[in-house]
Order: sequence, then structure tokens, then C-alpha cells
Amino acid sequence: MRQRKLEIYSVEHHAATDIKKKEGRDGKKDNDLELKRNQQKEELKKELDLDDHKLSNKELETKYGTDIIRGLSSTRAAELLAQNGPNALTPPKQTPEIIKFLKQMVGGFSILLWVGAVLCWIAFGIQYVSNPSASLDSVYLGTVLAVVVILTGIFAYYQEAKSTNIMASFCKMIPQQAVVIRDSEKKVIPAEQLVVGDIVEIKGGDQIPADIRLLSAQGCKVDNSSLTGESEPQSRSSEFTHENPLETKNITFYSTTCLEASTSPVGTATGMVINTGDRTIIGRIASLASGVGNEKTPIAIEIEHFVHIVAGVAVSVGILFFIIAVCMKYHVLDAIIFLIAIIVANVPEGLLATVTVALSLTAKRMAKKNCLVKNLEAVETLGSTSIICSDKTGTLTQNRMTVAHLWFDNQIFVADTSEDNLNQGFDQSSGTWTSLSKIIALCNRAEFKPGQESVPIMKRVVVGDASETALLKFSEVILGDVMEIRKRNHKVVEIPFNSTNKFQLSIHQTEDPNDKRFLLVMKGAPERILEKCSTIMINGKEQPLDKSMAQAFHTAYMELGGLGERVLGFCHFYLPADEFPETYSFDSESMNFPTSNLCFVGLLSMIDPPRSTVPDAVTKCRSAGIKVIMVTGDHPITAKAIAKSVGIISANSETVEDIAKRCNIAVEQVNKRDAKAAVVTGMELKDMSPEQLDELLANYPEIVFARTSPQQKLIIVEGCQRQDAVVAVTGDGVNDSPALKKADIGVAMGITGSDAAKNAADMILLDDNFSSIVTGVEEGRLIFDNLKKTIAYTLTKNIAELCPFLIYIILGLPLPIGTITLLFIDLGTDIIPSIALAYEKAESDIMNRKPRHKKKDRLVNQQLAVYSYLHIGLMQALGAFLVYFTVYAQQGFRPTSLFHLRIAWDSDHLNDLEDNYGQEWTSYQRQYLEWTGYTAFFVGIMVQQIADLIIRKTRKNSIFKQGLFRNKVIWVGIASQIIVALLLSYGLGSITALNFTMLKAQYWFVAVPHAILIWVYDEMRKLFIRLYPGSWWDKNMYY
Amino acid sequence: MRRQLRSRRAPAFPYGSRYRLDDQDEVNQNYLADEEEEAEEEAQMMMASNSEEEKEEEEEEEKEEEEGQGQPTGNAWWHKLQVINEYLWDPERRMSLARTGQSWRVMIRPFAHSLNFNFNVSEPDTWQHYVISLNGFLQGYNDSLQEEMNVDCPPGQYFIQDGDEDEDKKACQFKRSFLKNCSGLEDPTFGYSTGQPCILLKMNRIVGFRPELGDPVKVSCKVQRGDENDIRSINYYPESASFDLRYYPYYGKLTHVNYTSPLVAMHFTDVVKNQVVPVQCQLKGKGIINDVINDRFVGRIIFTLNIET
Repeated sequence: MRQRKLEIYSVEHHAATDIKKKEGRDGKKDNDLELKRNQQKEELKKELDLDDHKLSNKELETKYGTDIIRGLSSTRAAELLAQNGPNALTPPKQTPEIIKFLKQMVGGFSILLWVGAVLCWIAFGIQYVSNPSASLDSVYLGTVLAVVVILTGIFAYYQEAKSTNIMASFCKMIPQQAVVIRDSEKKVIPAEQLVVGDIVEIKGGDQIPADIRLLSAQGCKVDNSSLTGESEPQSRSSEFTHENPLETKNITFYSTTCLEASTSPVGTATGMVINTGDRTIIGRIASLASGVGNEKTPIAIEIEHFVHIVAGVAVSVGILFFIIAVCMKYHVLDAIIFLIAIIVANVPEGLLATVTVALSLTAKRMAKKNCLVKNLEAVETLGSTSIICSDKTGTLTQNRMTVAHLWFDNQIFVADTSEDNLNQGFDQSSGTWTSLSKIIALCNRAEFKPGQESVPIMKRVVVGDASETALLKFSEVILGDVMEIRKRNHKVVEIPFNSTNKFQLSIHQTEDPNDKRFLLVMKGAPERILEKCSTIMINGKEQPLDKSMAQAFHTAYMELGGLGERVLGFCHFYLPADEFPETYSFDSESMNFPTSNLCFVGLLSMIDPPRSTVPDAVTKCRSAGIKVIMVTGDHPITAKAIAKSVGIISANSETVEDIAKRCNIAVEQVNKRDAKAAVVTGMELKDMSPEQLDELLANYPEIVFARTSPQQKLIIVEGCQRQDAVVAVTGDGVNDSPALKKADIGVAMGITGSDAAKNAADMILLDDNFSSIVTGVEEGRLIFDNLKKTIAYTLTKNIAELCPFLIYIILGLPLPIGTITLLFIDLGTDIIPSIALAYEKAESDIMNRKPRHKKKDRLVNQQLAVYSYLHIGLMQALGAFLVYFTVYAQQGFRPTSLFHLRIAWDSDHLNDLEDNYGQEWTSYQRQYLEWTGYTAFFVGIMVQQIADLIIRKTRKNSIFKQGLFRNKVIWVGIASQIIVALLLSYGLGSITALNFTMLKAQYWFVAVPHAILIWVYDEMRKLFIRLYPGSWWDKNMYY
Repeated sequence: MRRQLRSRRAPAFPYGSRYRLDDQDEVNQNYLADEEEEAEEEAQMMMASNSEEEKEEEEEEEKEEEEGQGQPTGNAWWHKLQVINEYLWDPERRMSLARTGQSWRVMIRPFAHSLNFNFNVSEPDTWQHYVISLNGFLQGYNDSLQEEMNVDCPPGQYFIQDGDEDEDKKACQFKRSFLKNCSGLEDPTFGYSTGQPCILLKMNRIVGFRPELGDPVKVSCKVQRGDENDIRSINYYPESASFDLRYYPYYGKLTHVNYTSPLVAMHFTDVVKNQVVPVQCQLKGKGIINDVINDRFVGRIIFTLNIET
């Protein structure tokens, strides 16, 4: 069994450590890039190295030391297995759980807090040495800090692990079996145990168990769509047909599907295993994917940026005041304690956990809408996406051939290609249609697998290739039970399709018991069919095939072909009863029946049609300012046709070639600026320099890349990223996986997607619906806005938390708020409110604005920091000080008397400190009052944070427009703030270590006017922003 | 008569009820209950009589209002609510839930940043600073100053001064000479030169707070840990070793400008020499708490004497 666990990338926030590393890294980066390029080239070369397809059977036998008839010996196989390892892809390298956990423990602010905790303990140690009765405060603080870091770390780890578990359920692999000849015996063994040189047998419907050189096969077809993106089945035989191992017919590739194999008598193809496991083509692509560095998600970059800002402020303010404190002749130990307090006050301990929760809430919401996010941070990425590179097959299209057009009676009819195409609305009254439908039903070898009567027709499993499947389903929908029709028209002989004939033929008895004639039906390449016809059926009557009819045929053929559709011709012929009596013995080898002068009936064209929801989704992406580029391995004509039908190339835009054709001039003469759209093939791309690619990407709003290799997809994604775009790649095939990995966000299809693609992707569309991407964009943009609000909310109180320490150091007030009390704001009252902001609805239509610029529109910008810190933050600090002074004044200490009181206040020996009323206070009494002050300050901040929470609901609109009560979670948040504060003050007021006291009821209301002031102030800010857009105010006050 | 007096003003019985509450709610373990049942009963009776007066002041308290409605439902219920009310609202200090408790804290002089008195009798340098400190402290108690500024009020009762709040209040005399041998008048070294140190004890001032009527608060010192005979004799000045009621209540330094805290001097006349003697001086009297663990200055003070010869 192949064990595959998906790699889940943890939310990593690197703080200060990164700054130092950065310099060193930049220099190395170029080298890395070069190295990577070389590596890719190397990979390309390796593909070409393969020469087994040129060798004869004998040469192969010697090369791999095997025997085509008897197979390998078991011992030799065991040796090879031991030597080369199992035939399975190495799962992507996984970070051990413990490393992930430790990363959470040291990421982000954690390292700062660890330093703080350790400093606390050291400070206590030093104090203890000099005075064994030193207070335990710093031990408490250090422990609390450590606990905080560990708890938030565990929490973040748990969040990550939860999303991992969702993913794990997605990769239950069914162990694959293979039929192998060993020791002259046929054995069924797990595919994992295949070794090079094994002779394997493949049936129709099997997955190819390894890279295989075919030895004998006939009518073998494989589906290479996951490897190359071609939706059409590729025929395979034992002949060497092409120098390129990817194109030659005698090699089939690991993990592609064999659709059909019809070597008589057993219906199998035989081949020799030439590559196993990671050495297969798929394995190389997969390793190419894992070799691609995982780009940091935009939100991770933003969070890092934010962490740097906050950590920078914290450390620099801390050190500044450390120096000031030392200069003011404070004891160094005290100065260290101040430093810690300042850092703790500045660091929003709860914020990163909050962000994680907000992201996972969005992830959950998206999962409900069928967007499964593997990597939590990728939730936001779609929101900032500016280019979507979409694979065609299976992503934009349904990945199944469907009848799209018919031509008969000199007329083109359109068939329904939607996902359930139940109503085929074209005119079916003509006699020609009767004949045509009969040919479609009879000249077809595909069959439904039995036991699917209750399954809708379009969903039934069919044995047969894609075109035949399409025809079978098409006729089943229109005619009803095709199997029954075939039974009534008994088949007497058939010649299956092959590449030399390019037609398929069968002869049937007719269902009319009076008609003893045999019916010959034939389908194939239209030009070949036409050659064999001398008459054509028009309105149910045979007419001679004259020149004008032939012209009409060609026009129709060209037209349908031009739509990128695969066209088939159909003809029939009633064999004269006198020449071919009922007992006539037909022989498919000698073809003892006429195959010319037949009656041409009609053309039918098929395409892998676009999903019905795609055009709408593409339009929505466009209006959201996102460029949609198609990147496919398929042919340019098909690609262009699909691009046009889904709107990737809009109806009125032309390519250079279109203009040339319209104006009847050479392609070179066309002014390239006139063309809005471009179709670029892999061959052209190969010759382009990176600069040319950049130019191409920059100049054309509508681009289609066709016939691209996996490596080229990677190059295209890199090109887009060079334009500073955030690139999303959608895809389902193995060939997409490197690009999926390279992209800022890889989106894989959940149903049709290959495991390799799902592995490499960050997001999986469970319903394969491209339009789910639009949901993703919307949610991503919303969460970005809401994270801004959350951060603004959380940062605001930092000033109110920081000021007490600064003022304590400089002005010598009794300490207004304790470090542990601060943590109760950061991790207590503020947690639920800041999560509540994630539930906020969008302020305006976020789908009508341009995606944010990666480098300009930051999550935390200067405006946000200035407004939060210096406007609301300072107001909050004032309000909190008001409560603090009120408490002290009522207890007997007037504000003025508090200044420079610190030394006397903190002295343990001074037990009769006089207040303004002449009362005398012992140090314990003062301490109790100090704790009451902490509680008061805490309550002051809490009350104003309620106002802060309300104002953060919007950034521009009035709160009243947004609706005060629309987001109920906000109120839950406010309630939680109040309840937590009440619990802390009245419930835990007697626990010494927590430094809370029971606060008089009226003190809870002292800061209320300040809270109202904050609200009014912010409403004014928003009003001026709305009144004067683009003004100085707008530029500086809008965050 | 006694009850009348109490109920007219804010209750003069702040602890009993608090005790009981703390006990019941197990919230405040700071105060260790050792008060007699009697006191509790008294407290409850007292509260009942107070309630009418207090109501006006308590309007802002929601719970208060509820309680008012609940009044008719029964006496037991009413009592319970009273208890809760007392817990939430402290009528004496007119504050709710603020428990910076009302009990006498004490402090001693000389104050030397430490409660360990170590000195060598024969080396004046080791005790000179105590003498200076005491002298400085007692400047405000000089007889001449006291006679000039303060009045001689009758002992044994509160010196209650009704009238406007802003009105200046008179203060009772506490003369330095009350301290006799510890006044520094006869022995300017306060006994330090003879190995018989004087230590002055005062109660921290609290605005409006009064000790129990009846026997005034007394001071009593003993060896805290160890052999009781380490201190063989202590003289107290004034001889009653108590703080007279006439010095209470204190009206705050804004109006009670010349208020002089009453003192009790402890003269350790016979203490074991050349070893550390831990001394605990406690206040004794009705309603006095002197065994709180967290605040070591509530109703008592612990210091050490180490007199070397």
C-alpha cells in the first residue's frame, strides 16, 4: 500500500530572527534560483534519455535480463525490489510533528515572550541570592508568560492539526494490483512490488502500474489527460513511432489509464516494466513539484510584516526605557523588569491565536461552499489573487467528450452539452436523423457496465473510449435503450477502428423481420468516409453526391473543426439481399463486402465542453480585477475554442492571427497592439526569453497557452509572479502539480483531480466547480478586511497598556497596571471580541474592486498603526488613567500627590505613609490599593475596548449603516468582555497572584464617557472620509 | 444609651459583621475570626437599626433597592439580606465591595528602614541615629507647642466636633511629658545609652474611625518566639499603656490641622543582652484585630531587639 500523507504547512511566523537572516539570504537567493533552473533542465534531459522505445524485444530482454515469455524469476525480482525500492512515489517530505509543534512554540511573538520569561527568572534568581525573602512576583510573571506561550502554541498547533485531519481522509488509497508473469506463471501482485524487467498484462480500465514498454497490443488506448492534458484518448501499440518517448506509441506511463486493449483472445496488452516508482515520468514530475520551493502565502508575509513592526516597536521602546531607567539610577534588575513589562504590554499575545481562529472560521465557511483549504493561510490568498492560471481539461471543461454539433440535411444542429444534457432540442423529425441515429447506436463498441439502471445516463460508467462513450450516451439519451436496439439489430461482423483505416465498420441484421437486407454502418474520419460515398442522404432520401454537396460538406467540416471539435463522419449502406443472403458469411479479414459507393448520412462533432458555471465565474473574476489565463497541454485550436466559449477570450477580442485572417495580411504585418488576445503554444514559449514572456503577460489581457509541458507551466507561473502578481493555479492533472506548488495558491479539483495535484495544491474544490473560486476570492478579501479590523482593535489597547509603565518609570506614579493584569486583557477580555470581527459582513461590494497590491496594500499600514496607537490608543490610555486617578483620589491620594511617590510607595518598611487626608497606610494596604488600581485600570480599558470593538466594525461606513445588530457575534464578544471582567474582579478578586480586587460598582462607569467620545470621534473620522474622498484626511485616516 | 450613641452616627462597630460575612463566604481569609458570638448578635441588631438612615445614601446601589422591596417577606430573610448588603455595601465607609479594611495598623518609632534594633551600648555610633530619629519625631509633641496649639480635652470619651465639614477642628493635647522616661527630657538618649531602649508605638491615622467605647485600646508587648523571660520587664508610658478615646475621631488633615497622634512608649528596662529577642507588641481591646497574616501591621508589630554590651 502506498502511504501518502499530505503535507500541511504550518502557520509559521518568524519574528526578529528573520531580520538578521535576511541579508545573508538575498545573496544566496540568486544562486538558488539558478540551481533550480538547472535542475529543471536536468529533469527535462532525463526524460529524453529514455531509449527503450527504440530497442527491439530481444535487446530489451538483454538489457533488463528478463524473458518475455517466462518473465523474471521470483528471486531476481526480489533482488531488484531490494535494490530499487518499491514501485511507489516517495511521499513528499514531511516535517515531523514535534518540529511543527516546536515551531509554534518559537514562532511569532513567542520568542520575545520566552526571552521575557527567562529574564524574569534570572531577575528572581539574582534577587533571591541577595535576599532570600524576595517577592515571588517575577517568578509568577515568568511562569505566566511561559504558560501563555505554551498555551497559544498548543492552540495554534491544534488548529493546524485539525485541518490536517480533514485532509487525511482524502487520501485513502486503494492498493493497486498488477498481473505479472514471473517464473512462467501469471501472478497477481500489489503494483508496489513490480520491478524493472517484469512482464505485465494490462486490461482495459486498468491503471498502468509503472512505465511500460508495450510488447504486444492492439487497439490499445490510453488516457493521458492527467499527464499531458490531452482529453482525447491516445492509441498505443508495440511499434516504435516517434523519437520522443512521450510521443511514441509503444510506451505507456505510470498512473495513466488504459481504456481499451483488445489483443485477441484475452483482451489484454503485454508490456515490460522499464521504470518504477520515482524514476517514472510521473515520479519525475512529482519530484519536480516537491523540488519547487513552497512560496510564503501573502497573508503569512503580511503577518510577518506585522509581527516585525510590533516586535520592533516593543523591543526598541523597551530598550529605550531600559536605558532611561538605568540613567535615572534605577536598579538594573528593576530596569530589566520594566523592559519585560514594556515588551509584554506591547506584544498582543492573543492576536496570532485570534488570527488563526479567524482564518479557520473562514476555512470552515469555505469548506461548506465546497472549497477545502489545506493550508490555513491560503484562505486569504485567493482574495489577493490577481492572476488565475487555469488548466483547461477537467477544470474549465467537464473532461468528457460530449456531442456538441451535428450536420445532416445540409444543416448544422446544436446539441446540448451541459452537464446533464437531458433535453436535446434539435429537430429530430427528418428521415436522415433516423438513419444517422441508427448508425450512431450500432456502429459503436462501447457498453455500459451492467447494473447501473438507476444511475442517470450521464453518470454511468462506460467501457470504451471517450468518443464512443459520448456517442453511446448521446444515443441512449435520445433513443432510449441502446443495448436493446443493438440486440434487435444483431451484429454479424465488425472492423474496429485503427489508425490506418481511420474508420470503424459493422454489419447488422435489421430489426425489420420483412427486410432481409444487411445494414452496413460506418463511422470515421470525415474525409475518409466521404471518399467511400457516392450518394448523400437529404431529408431521408438518397441523392447523388454532387460537387455542391461536397462543398457544403467541406464547409461544415471546416466550421466544426474550427470550433476545436472532433468531427466524425457517418455513412451506411443496405447490402442487396440477392448478393448477401441471410446465410452469407462475412469475413472481417478479407472484407468480402463493399466498402465504397456508400450513402453519406451526416457529420457529428464532439468536444470536451466547458462546465456550465465557468463562463459566469470568469466574468465575475474579470469584474473583480483578476486576469484569467488558460494554460493547457491541449491543442491550440481546441484551447482557443474553449477559451472563447468560457469568456477567457471575450467575444469581441481577436488574436494577431485573427486580425491577419480578417484583413488578409501576413501575421507579421499586424500591429501587435491591436490584438487583445493571444494564443501561445509551447513551441513558441520555448523560444521566448523571460523578458519576452514578461512582455507578453503584461501586454495581453487575454492569453491562452496551449501544448505546454509541466515545466512550461512552471515558467508561466514564475513569469506571472515576476509581475508582482499573486498567482492562483487551478488544475487537476499530474502535469499541473509543479505549477500548483509554485503558485501562490494551487487549487486542485476534488473529484477528477489526481493525487499528485491534490498533494501539491493548497486548496481543493470538492465539487470541481470553477465558480467556487469566486467564493474563495470573496471570502479571502473579506477575511483580509476583517483581519485588518481585528488587528486594529487589538493594537489599540497596547498604548493604554504601555503608558502605565512609561509613566511609572518617568513620573514615579504607583504602578497603574500589573503585567499579569495586562495578560488578562490580551488573553481574557479581548479574545472573543477580536474573533467576533471575523464575522463582520463586507462594507461594500468587495467583488468590484481590484485585487490588493501585494507590496502596497499591506495588512498593517502606517495609517492603521498611527490611528490605532496614537488616536484611539491615547484616548483609551487617558480614559483608563482617569479611572485609576479616581480610585486613588477617593481613597485619599490626590493625583498630584501621586507623582514621584513611587519610592515611598514601594518601600516595604514604610508602614505609615500619609495620604492627602493625613491617614496612614501600611505597605500591605498600599499594595491592596495598588491592586485596586490595577483592576480599575483594567476595567477602564475593558469599557473603552467595547467602544473600540464597535467602531472597528467598519472602516469607512457609518456604524449605523452597517447595522449595530447585524453581526450578533459582536454582542457575544461584548458580553464576554463584561463577564470576564466581572469574574476576574468579583470571582477571583481574592487570589493574591492575580492581583485583582473587588472594585466598587461606580468605578465601572467612570470610563464610559471616554468610550462614547471614542465612538463619536471615529464616526467623525468616517464621515470626513466619506465626504472628502482623496483628501489629506482620507489618505491619512483611512486604514 | 450605648446603642443610641452608635446609631446616631455611622456605626462604631465595623468588624463584627464583616467577620461573620467573611466567614460565611469564605472570601476573605485575611481576617481570622476570633470574635465572640456576642459581637455578631450586636452587629446584626445594630444594622437593623441603621438601615433607615443608610438608605438615602445607598440609592445608587441596585441591590439595595431590591432589598427594600424584599423587606416585608420575613425577618430571617431580611437578616440575610442585611448580611449580604453589608457585604456589598459598607455603610461606614460608604463604599461597596471595597475592602481596604478598617482596622488599626500600628507603627513604631524610631524608624530606621528596618524593624531590627541592633546596637551596642558602649558604642554610641550604633544607636545615635535612633536618638536623633526619636528626637525629631517628638518635636511636634513638645509641651510648649502642644499647649499653644491644642486644647486639653476631657479623657475617657470621644472628642466629637459636630458642625460643618470644612470647619477647622480642634485637636487634643498629647504632650511629650506624658512619655515620662521615654520623653527624652530626662534621659536625652531615650535609654539607649543604658541598654534600656525606648520604642514609641502609634496607631496609623484613619479618618473618622474610632476605637470601641469603654476600655481604651491597650498595648502589650511580649517575646514573640522563644523564652518569655528574655524580657523581664517593660514600662509603658502613659502608664495606662493605652490610647485615650479623646484623640478620636480623626477628622483628616485638612481640617484637623494640628492633630497629634497619641503614642504609647515602651521602655524595655530589662531585656536579655547579646542575643536577638523578637518582640511582638499587640493592641488589645474590644473589636481589635491583631493576628492578620498578610498585613503584619494590623493591631500588632513585630520587631527584634539585639542589645550588645
